[in-house]
Amino acid sequence: MKTKRVSKRNKISWRKHVNIDDVEDFLEEQRLEERLGPKSSLTEKQLFIIDKPDVTKISKKEKCRLKLANPVCFQLLKPHTNVPDPISKRNRVRSKEERKSKLVKLREEERKIKGILKAKEVNSIKGKELYEKKKKQLPKRGEFTKDIWEVQNNVTNINEWINPESTVHNLRQTGVYLKKVVSSVTKKPTVLPTIDPPHPGLSYNPSFEDHQNLLKEVATKEQELIKRDKHLNRVTKNIFRTVSAGTRDKTWLTEMSQGLSFENRESSKNEKPSETDGEYRSINPPAENKKKTLKQRRKQKEQLIAARLRRIAKIEKKKVSDLHKLKDLKEKANLVDQKILLNKQKREKYNELKSKQTKRLGARKFEETDLEFNMPGDLTGTLRGLKKESSLLVDRFVSLQKRNVIPPSVRIQAKKAKFKRFVKPGHKDDWKSTVARVKTSLNNK
Amino acid sequence: MVSKKKKKFSSGEGAKYISRRAALRKLQVSLREFRRLCILKGIYPREPRNRKKAQKGDTGIKTLYHIKDIQFLLHEPIIWKLRDIKTGSKKIAKARALKDYEKIHKFNNSYPVLKLDHIVKERYPTFIDALRDLDDCLTLCFLFSTFPSMKHIPRDQSQLCRRLTTEFMHYIIEAGVLRKVFVSIKGYYYQAEIKGQTVTWIVPHHFSFEPQNRAEVDFKLMSIFVEFYIVMLGFVNFRLYHSLNLHYPPKFPSLSATNIEKQLVDEDVFVSERVAALNYSIAKNSNDIVEEDVAIDDFCNEDDPEKLAEAKKEAESIENLKTLFKGLKFFLNREVPREPIVFMLRCFGGEVSWDKLLFVGATFDENDESITHQIVDRPSVDNKYTSRYYVQPQWIFDSINNRELMPVKKYFMGEILPPHLSPFTNKGLTDIYMPLEERALHDPTLLEEIHKKDKEAEDSEKNDIAENNDDDHIDESESDIESAEELQENDTKKKLSVAPGKVTKEDPQQKGKEARQEYRLREKMVKNKHKRLYKSMMQNKLERKKEIWLLRKKRRLHEEAKNEKNQKS
Repeated sequence: MKTKRVSKRNKISWRKHVNIDDVEDFLEEQRLEERLGPKSSLTEKQLFIIDKPDVTKISKKEKCRLKLANPVCFQLLKPHTNVPDPISKRNRVRSKEERKSKLVKLREEERKIKGILKAKEVNSIKGKELYEKKKKQLPKRGEFTKDIWEVQNNVTNINEWINPESTVHNLRQTGVYLKKVVSSVTKKPTVLPTIDPPHPGLSYNPSFEDHQNLLKEVATKEQELIKRDKHLNRVTKNIFRTVSAGTRDKTWLTEMSQGLSFENRESSKNEKPSETDGEYRSINPPAENKKKTLKQRRKQKEQLIAARLRRIAKIEKKKVSDLHKLKDLKEKANLVDQKILLNKQKREKYNELKSKQTKRLGARKFEETDLEFNMPGDLTGTLRGLKKESSLLVDRFVSLQKRNVIPPSVRIQAKKAKFKRFVKPGHKDDWKSTVARVKTSLNNK
Repeated sequence: MVSKKKKKFSSGEGAKYISRRAALRKLQVSLREFRRLCILKGIYPREPRNRKKAQKGDTGIKTLYHIKDIQFLLHEPIIWKLRDIKTGSKKIAKARALKDYEKIHKFNNSYPVLKLDHIVKERYPTFIDALRDLDDCLTLCFLFSTFPSMKHIPRDQSQLCRRLTTEFMHYIIEAGVLRKVFVSIKGYYYQAEIKGQTVTWIVPHHFSFEPQNRAEVDFKLMSIFVEFYIVMLGFVNFRLYHSLNLHYPPKFPSLSATNIEKQLVDEDVFVSERVAALNYSIAKNSNDIVEEDVAIDDFCNEDDPEKLAEAKKEAESIENLKTLFKGLKFFLNREVPREPIVFMLRCFGGEVSWDKLLFVGATFDENDESITHQIVDRPSVDNKYTSRYYVQPQWIFDSINNRELMPVKKYFMGEILPPHLSPFTNKGLTDIYMPLEERALHDPTLLEEIHKKDKEAEDSEKNDIAENNDDDHIDESESDIESAEELQENDTKKKLSVAPGKVTKEDPQQKGKEARQEYRLREKMVKNKHKRLYKSMMQNKLERKKEIWLLRKKRRLHEEAKNEKNQKS
């Protein structure tokens, strides 16, 4: 059988079609010989010794000393081969100071004694001073050395005789920063108090009545929540039937095969299409251009005029009758006014109520936290046995949200991106299992 | 020529607001920087009147800002600083990744510091404005002062909070402006009156730090608030200290470290520890006495004499409160929370000490005979001193809230305490029916009266049962004697008194009539706007009075019936 000629131009095709196992085996053997010596020249006993554990005992102190004698940190600096340096005498690169001639050194010393400095040195000294000065002027946290509310002689209105334009012009030269502060900065975004007055039942040793009142409040709130939950369940979860998987599939099949009546197919084939006269009829036939006669036009015009006259007469008549109805109209106007007033009051009331509520600032709605309370069993009546409830930090955070300072938010866990991993075709190291195997199978043939 | 078509949302509600995303683009900052900027500058999101228009036709809910506010932020110089901070932290992160410690050190040293002085001045144009907004500041600072150093918080923040809050407490102590204290399960509620502004704050209980749930609170955000409040509190402290002629930062006049102590700690730690002890009065700049409170004028433009009298009474009680614990010496047992109690006692002039080993700054030992009160929070103590009262800490709270020293009897060690009532309850409606027992809770003198009454009743009952006839005679005779004595006394008084000349005879009826007429005239002056409100107020008042009268009557009748029953049996 004649072997098929194949291209061996590329590395991949070379690998594919050339068997180099014998070369590799040979090299492998050679390496082994290099390592272990020529084959079968020595016996096993000569080649190997039995490894025995070190029996010599050294004390801890000595161990430590041994370790310290050869520290790991310097191992990198040591030569890692026993081959000696081929260049026995190496010249060290001398530093700048060492390279200077003695004469220059002497001259520089004299200069220093005299106090003569180079421009470079002068600059460096100046720079250092400047740096120190600047560092001192840097603002430090937690250092308060001035009264910022102290009334200074205000530069912005030095003199009433100077017009504002010229003051602005002059101030620009002094470096005063002129800007108007928006009013919203000084305003609070809500009328709610920063710290709510505490419920008397929150005391560590409350009176019975206060504590009961607090518990009642908590209970009513909880009941409302339960009621809402029940409602939501009823409206959402409970309206759906629970069906087992088998029946679900069955119904799905029946529903989906609706209209595809397999039984009636035969009978429907026999039915004949309805009879027609064979003439084509459009759904919307074209409009006919029918002209009106002169008489028709005259009549139409007359009717129009008559209608207008009737309308005018009616208005005239109404004017007269309205004069008689003046009292009635006034009453009506009054009624409207009253309604407007009532609506205004309502609106004011609503606005007032709304000002005490939290505004909608973000996508998330503000939710109040649960009321904190001690159960009656937790009350010990002493300061030592007090059981702390609620975290103040959460309380403040929620309060800020309630007072429209920050939009309500929740922490969103960052989603980890899903990676689809694969190896680039060129980086695949599977040529032995794919390519070479194919080749061997070819050879066998 | 046809005029140019007006673009939608170029005027009105649509032009007023800007979404957060648009604001970010306009300011060229990241969301994190924007948040920080807004918090520092005091700019908050707004709720528009018509959301669809404000969002330029977009439905759904966005966070909106006022466009003027954003334009204002555009001028802020700290924007540049924030950008610097961003680049600085990037550099540090890179150096850290490369383990280039020299560079890390260098960048850390030149890390930009935000200077917030001008923002404090901008947000609070006057000092009073700053005081008005001190509630949040104090509560957050007190809270953060209890935190250890944590991941999202600047390294020195909690320490700074601690320093500034203790300084503030020192001011309160020196000025004696604390008014109310309430110990709740949340923490200690304090209320002070500084320059006419009521400042309320909450201090957490001194228990060990409990880690917060990260999902609940945005720690970074809160620490930005604290960053601003620290600066604000610092300047407020500065001003407050100087208003009292105190040296700021606090110094102690009579504090010299012994040699051993000097060797043990360095100077700063030594001073800061003494500051934290709250037990030394701080040094003054000059000895000029700062006059703070001015006596209320007799001639006042307040119409209502009742109100004037009330105000005077209030001023008197405050004067009383300021020297409430003066001359008293307290010793705190070790189970009592030291800081709040020392703060309260020292505010009103008390001298306090504690166990030497508990904390620095103890001034006298437990065996000092001049101690008047020992604050104890345990059922019993091994060796007691007879020269002092052993009271529970609630005695202090209740005394402060009532503005007078409560009788110690009910607060003795091991006693079941009377309830600790909130001083923050609304006092608006005083004309509410309160049974006698409840009133006694607020007024200790009344309690004694009730007690006496009960005892008398009991005694009389006992007497009645034991000796029916004999007593009556004696009683009668005694009462006779007493009445005779009284008469005699009256006679002697008459003899001594000088009869005044009759000048004018004031008809009380006429006077009352005139007063009523005047009152009606004044009623007419009520604005139309408030007329309805006034009317309903008066009506409610009347109704409440009626109810009180009715309930009292019921009680009286009930008690009379009870008494009769008792007597019969």
